[in-house]
Amino acid sequence: MDLNEQLLAAHDHGDKAALVALYHQAAKDVGDINSACFYATQAYIFALDCNHPDARALHAFLLEHGREE
Amino acid sequence: MSDILNAVRQPVNTANGLPNEHYIDPNTYIEERNAVLFANWAGLAVAADVPENGDAVPIDFAGMPLLLIRDREGAVRVFQNTCRHRGMILVEEPRKIEGAIRCPYHSWCYSTKGELVSTPHVGGPGQNTHPDVKRSDLGLTEIRSHIWRDVVWINVDGKAADFADAMAEPMKRWAEFEKPLYHGGDDSKFTLRVKSNWKLAVENYCESYHLPWVHPGLNSYSRLEDHYNIEEYGHYSGQGTLVYRQLLGEDGVTKFPDFDGLSKKWDTAAEYLSVFPNVLLGAHRDHAFAIILKPEGPEKTSEHIHLYYPTPDTDAGLRQKNSELWKVVFEEDIFVVEGMQRGRHAVNFDGGRFSPAMDGPTHCFHDWVAGRMQAYRAQAKAAE
Repeated sequence: MDLNEQLLAAHDHGDKAALVALYHQAAKDVGDINSACFYATQAYIFALDCNHPDARALHAFLLEHGREE
Repeated sequence: MSDILNAVRQPVNTANGLPNEHYIDPNTYIEERNAVLFANWAGLAVAADVPENGDAVPIDFAGMPLLLIRDREGAVRVFQNTCRHRGMILVEEPRKIEGAIRCPYHSWCYSTKGELVSTPHVGGPGQNTHPDVKRSDLGLTEIRSHIWRDVVWINVDGKAADFADAMAEPMKRWAEFEKPLYHGGDDSKFTLRVKSNWKLAVENYCESYHLPWVHPGLNSYSRLEDHYNIEEYGHYSGQGTLVYRQLLGEDGVTKFPDFDGLSKKWDTAAEYLSVFPNVLLGAHRDHAFAIILKPEGPEKTSEHIHLYYPTPDTDAGLRQKNSELWKVVFEEDIFVVEGMQRGRHAVNFDGGRFSPAMDGPTHCFHDWVAGRMQAYRAQAKAAE
């Protein structure tokens, strides 16, 4: 499965931990900073939702790029 | 209208009961909701409904969506279950909040204390802030709440006196019972649904007049003459018995332990209070209960019954037996409250009369409701 298919499957299953991991990976893989912040936001929100340990790093990334407070 | 409520507020010997519209009319129901349920300290739930940190239960309270939650540090809180963004319902089913409360629509996230912690894409894709969207101004709307006897009491309009002042009288009456209460667990709670206005359940609960007719089994050991009326106008009402007997297990010996330090009076006495508007409480030497009446429309109510004990480790079989005993008693009342409800569709019914000797507690409640309605209407008129 490609990333898009994996994301859709994770959404279908409500698998929040997988959504954090997949969106986080997408943020790392994408070329431009705006797209990276979009994906990082998606990952961050699902991390907040499920109390995922990546929330702190994702917040720091978004903060660094002026996208969070 | 004022004359009708004045008639309710006459002495019990000559007063009429609340008129039909207070039981069947949707407009009066809404007015009464605001004047009586939202402007005072009403029962919403029990703290035992959210035993662990992060537990959240959505509750529709007289049509208002609320969220009962135990926050990350263990405090019980009540919020409007409504996102500050587009008004979406936040939590649909009882569940554990693992991290944040995430709105299912645009994913604005709130902490369990109600703080708005993230607003994804609010400033455009990947931009989660905007200078005009101040998170500190947009936390969940918290409803004033207080826990007493494990009941979560709420004051929706935020204008009632402090809980300790508003409830000083019933708290003083039962000061001896200010002890730790332990919910009996799943075998010690049940819900009854009745086709009746919520007030009829209060009225029926607070008087002993009906006992020999409706609860003959109860009356075989607890005669009408062993009961007394409790009438504290402006505060609460109820009934007491002088012949409470402890429940025994199958072995004829096992009993529930007593609450510590009670005076001798309670060896054989028990009391049942209607704490206005919608909470019914019972206290005995060895157990207590709380009933939250949830209005679900002018002619529909759910009754949520919870039993409590002096220690956390009571006998399971005895608890089961006690729950069954009370369930039988409360089920015996259903035909009465539903029958009174249907009776109020008779257009010439005038609210009825009271027995001066026996119906004081019921009149006490009617007087309280009528007084609250009069005050509410006077305030509304003054604001015109």
